[in-house]
Amino acid sequence: MKIIVAIKQVPERDAQIRIDAAGKWIEESGLQYALNESDAYALEEALQLKEKHGGEVVVLTAGPERVGPTIREALAKGADRAIHIDCADLGSRDALGVARLLAAAVKPENPDLILTGLQSDDLGQGQTGVILAELLGLPHSSLILHVDKTDSGLTVKRELEEGWFQSIELPTPAVLTIQSGGNKLRYATLMGIKRAKTKEVRTVSAAELASDATPVAVLERVALPQKQKSTQMIPGNPKEAAAALVEKLKFEARVL
Amino acid sequence: MSGIWVVIEERDGHVSRASWEAVAAGQKLATLSGLAVNAVVLGAQTESLAAEVAAKALGKVVRIEHPLLAAYTADGFTLALQQFFAAEKSDYVLFPHTYQVRDYAPKLATRLGQALIGDVTAISDGPLFTRQLMQGRLNGSYRHSGNGPCFVSVQAGAFRADEAQPGTAAVSVFSPTIEPAQIRTRPSERFRGAAQTVDLGSAQLIVGVGRGIKDAANIPLAQELATALGAELGASRPICDNGWLAMERQIGSSGQTIAPKLYLALGISGAIQHLVGIKGSQCVVAVNKDPGAPIFEAADYGIVGDLMEVVPALTEAVKAARQ
Amino acid sequence: MLPLSAILAEPQSFSLAEKLLLIVLVAASVTAFWLRFRVVLAKILQSKKDASFRLFPIGKRLWDFLWEVAFQAKVIRQRPLPGLAHAFVFWGFCAFVLVTLNHFAVGLGLGFLSPTSLFGRFYFDFAAVFALACAVGILGLFIRRFLVRPKWLGQQLSYQSGFIAFLIFLLMVTYLASFFVADADPATRVLWWVHTLALLTFLPIIPHTKHLHLVLSPATVFLSRGSFSQIPPLAGDEDFGLIAGTDLTRLVSLQAFSCVECGRCTEHCPAAITGKLLNPKEIILGLRNYLNDLGPASEEPLLGKYNPQEAPFQCTTCGACEFQCPVGIEHLPILIGLRRGAVNTGTWQDDYGSKLFLALERGSNAHGLPASERDKFIEKVALPIFDGSQEYCLWLGCMGGYDPKGREIIADFAHVMNYLGTSFGVLRKEKCCGDPVRRLGNDLVFQKLAESNLEVFAQSKVKKVVSICPHCVRTIQEDWKEFGTPPPVEHHSEFLAGHANKLPAKRSGSESIVYHDPCYLGRYRNVYKQPRKVVKLAGKLVEAPRNHERSFCCGAGGGLVFLGEETGERVGQVRATELIATGATTIGTACPFCNSIFRDALAEKGAAAPQLLDIAQLTARGLPESQT
Repeated sequence: MKIIVAIKQVPERDAQIRIDAAGKWIEESGLQYALNESDAYALEEALQLKEKHGGEVVVLTAGPERVGPTIREALAKGADRAIHIDCADLGSRDALGVARLLAAAVKPENPDLILTGLQSDDLGQGQTGVILAELLGLPHSSLILHVDKTDSGLTVKRELEEGWFQSIELPTPAVLTIQSGGNKLRYATLMGIKRAKTKEVRTVSAAELASDATPVAVLERVALPQKQKSTQMIPGNPKEAAAALVEKLKFEARVL
Repeated sequence: MSGIWVVIEERDGHVSRASWEAVAAGQKLATLSGLAVNAVVLGAQTESLAAEVAAKALGKVVRIEHPLLAAYTADGFTLALQQFFAAEKSDYVLFPHTYQVRDYAPKLATRLGQALIGDVTAISDGPLFTRQLMQGRLNGSYRHSGNGPCFVSVQAGAFRADEAQPGTAAVSVFSPTIEPAQIRTRPSERFRGAAQTVDLGSAQLIVGVGRGIKDAANIPLAQELATALGAELGASRPICDNGWLAMERQIGSSGQTIAPKLYLALGISGAIQHLVGIKGSQCVVAVNKDPGAPIFEAADYGIVGDLMEVVPALTEAVKAARQ
Repeated sequence: MLPLSAILAEPQSFSLAEKLLLIVLVAASVTAFWLRFRVVLAKILQSKKDASFRLFPIGKRLWDFLWEVAFQAKVIRQRPLPGLAHAFVFWGFCAFVLVTLNHFAVGLGLGFLSPTSLFGRFYFDFAAVFALACAVGILGLFIRRFLVRPKWLGQQLSYQSGFIAFLIFLLMVTYLASFFVADADPATRVLWWVHTLALLTFLPIIPHTKHLHLVLSPATVFLSRGSFSQIPPLAGDEDFGLIAGTDLTRLVSLQAFSCVECGRCTEHCPAAITGKLLNPKEIILGLRNYLNDLGPASEEPLLGKYNPQEAPFQCTTCGACEFQCPVGIEHLPILIGLRRGAVNTGTWQDDYGSKLFLALERGSNAHGLPASERDKFIEKVALPIFDGSQEYCLWLGCMGGYDPKGREIIADFAHVMNYLGTSFGVLRKEKCCGDPVRRLGNDLVFQKLAESNLEVFAQSKVKKVVSICPHCVRTIQEDWKEFGTPPPVEHHSEFLAGHANKLPAKRSGSESIVYHDPCYLGRYRNVYKQPRKVVKLAGKLVEAPRNHERSFCCGAGGGLVFLGEETGERVGQVRATELIATGATTIGTACPFCNSIFRDALAEKGAAAPQLLDIAQLTARGLPESQT
């Protein structure tokens, strides 16, 4: 199976958020970056499929030069080669614009399967994979926890709300967006990193892919949320406190 | 101008609460834009569903019906809506941000040359759509640019379902053309995860019991609360070590790591081994006799009090809210 | 008793036939010895060279050789009675060198030491004293092994050991008996030949048994790696640790062949004591068996057939094994080498281990908590930020920065430093020192952490570090050396002891405090006096049964505290029970991990449990109220 895994490098989860001077994005200087979490699960799923059925795993990522270490990490974990779309202004594209770039790079590869993470830790749109499927004219499914190859294509386990799951059959080639937690992730090893040095990383500039970048959904500005995470101590006697808490859980936290 | 269209989603034969919230969002958008709010329902048999929707203050309710829409598929729903919006021009298309919507709305938007603004938590003048970035640590305001409809999905709970105003709307039917070969995915019946083993790792609601429960005989109190919530029961290490609850219910660095929507820590002090097990929780509530217990620093809400009194009170309050 | 007038009897002449026989037998014995010994030597020499081994400075090597080999100090000190018995056997052997040489010379008619000369009489009498001590010693050891049967010597009776003991006994008895006969007596010739045959039988047995240590162990002690638990840097791009025979180095092979099977390592191993699979003696013997069966050029895995794969991962790296070994075997680099082989290649698949590695791949601490939690703590306790002007950089570590108990210890220690007027600050950004991943053998993550932290140290101009955690102290001071030059690090016990004269001593109260020596402070760093000095300021010091270099591990080390629940009896429970049994009102710790383990263990004891306090907390409580 030839599997393409689209991965994204995002600011570390620990990162301190500061708004930049223009107020349109966060201050990137001093940030540390890492592989997006659900993309790590997508990569893991791809590697397990390769281990079971043979083939090739290619990682694809768009971003500036700093995505290098993340590509190497993916290669270290077992991907065979990488395609890097060199793009300095990824943030100025919307989900459609980014997917167009990826589609242009994917088309000549003719993969059997394309995996993406469910959503990114920074923008959290969760759309890239679905749009990519549409642009390539391929069937897709999202929120996937497990992929099995069958004679007629794939059977996947999809997560539904409230603890329900669903099995879906679809033909290949197809696109799947992978949910976190479906597999146990493998850790990067010294041996993997050393082997990664000899693997191919092909760089193609965004300009070469000639895709429309005008955004339809424009991020006008960003702001820090007013409510910082602090503990709300609920006063009153047990009955009052209980009632107040349930009210907050329903309408403020919205978890009931 | 064609106005605002809300795509209604069905849950167990009725309009889902999230859809009512989307209708409320639509009505908010209507006050900002001066446009009319309409709704569509999709399926193979949509009469009763449409009737439910039509009891709200909406302009039009359209039943998009086709046998191949009986079960949800991305291909089916996208084709149907694409054809509908080709016929019916719209300014805004609103969805509830559900797993189903995440699966097809971006596809539909792309087909119409648009980009979905998803999981919106607020709509303000502009209109500007606010959504959360960086895992809730940043808010971003988006606006739609260019021609064509603006696709928006709204976060569950961001708008209040009971704020959808009642009224009467005109109902009509739209029949899209869908060939079986165009539906490329075959979904099966939904199923539950394995019920036998305790899988705290995937539980969405969890009640955790700590040493503050004092005695094994008091555990049923916590169990009642868990049952009322529809939650799983977990525990900190000393409880499992004492044999009061099975080892597989242990939450912490040497037990299970949990990531529920809601975690209630009852009588748990908050040693680091426990804290690392719960850090993935969306919302943490702590109940403890000691106001200085470290668990409060990790909690979103806290009640200082005697478990024997607070827990039964919570159980009552939850039961009342669930009615 | 031996009459002082007794002279050693020797046969006065040997026939040509006897001389020829002697020559043939000696040749046969030496050849038999060499045939086997050269194989062992070859296996050692064919092993990979140790890239980081340095012969100089030679002073410590000479001292260790003198102390451990010549004086048998470790042998005696750690197991006094059997150790003394063995020392006499060893000294007996040494004293007998001239005797033995002369014995063979006599057989060829070339005896050079006259039993009647002044020097001869003195020397043979001197040797006789040792012979007696040796005979008593070997008899005692025989009784111990075959009648008392301590479990550390293994379940199976070693007939090989019995036979050797018999030979040694025979040698001594035949020597001593020679004082009671005359030269002309036919018995003298019999004794002479029995003694000779005993020697010539003994010689070839040496390289086939654990008695190889007679030849090898002086070299093994001399050629140690240089310091306790010294983990060698990986040598080149293809080195991932100890995976197959080709990875065994000369030091490891030498050490594997030196094992005397005494079982002291296993006797003190917390994992072995609590019934885990890990048995340090079997690890070493497993390597020896591997070398004997397959040799150093084999690609077969070291683990699996010769030792279970889980065994190395049950090690807390407490170092009791390496510390106890009387022949200079360094278990820790071997165990960590085996872990490296499994981890650096991704062969080791463990849920908790992966979680730890992933947490440190992406984040800053071993718990997987966001760094903002540490920032919140710093703000809450108003710890000053290090800006290059303060004397000390206070290193928080993963426990001090994130664990509620660790934070209390930091807060109290900061309080004491303020009282003493010592300027200090904490770093804005701190990543885990890397101790758990270093001990688990993940060199990739460890390198990243060490380099990242060293850079922050350099940028922040850190000159001195003080830490509450012995693991951080060890890792920063020693393990980071592989990637840069760390500044000097003090453990807070060393700091507090250094300022003891400025700290108030508690005069009232009869608080008794049992002090638990942390492995990484005691055996690893030799710091025993300083924490006790601090404890004595706060109350009465009580020693646990196993204390100082014999301290029993709490079970957290080697990354094990992050690896989920132990099987069988918990190491920490065993130690906690021991500490509680002393009857002390307080357990004094100097390591936040020990503290954390005991906290859990004491939680089950309920209200009757003693207090658990770090030495920083003990000190802070003694400060005058106005300073709080």
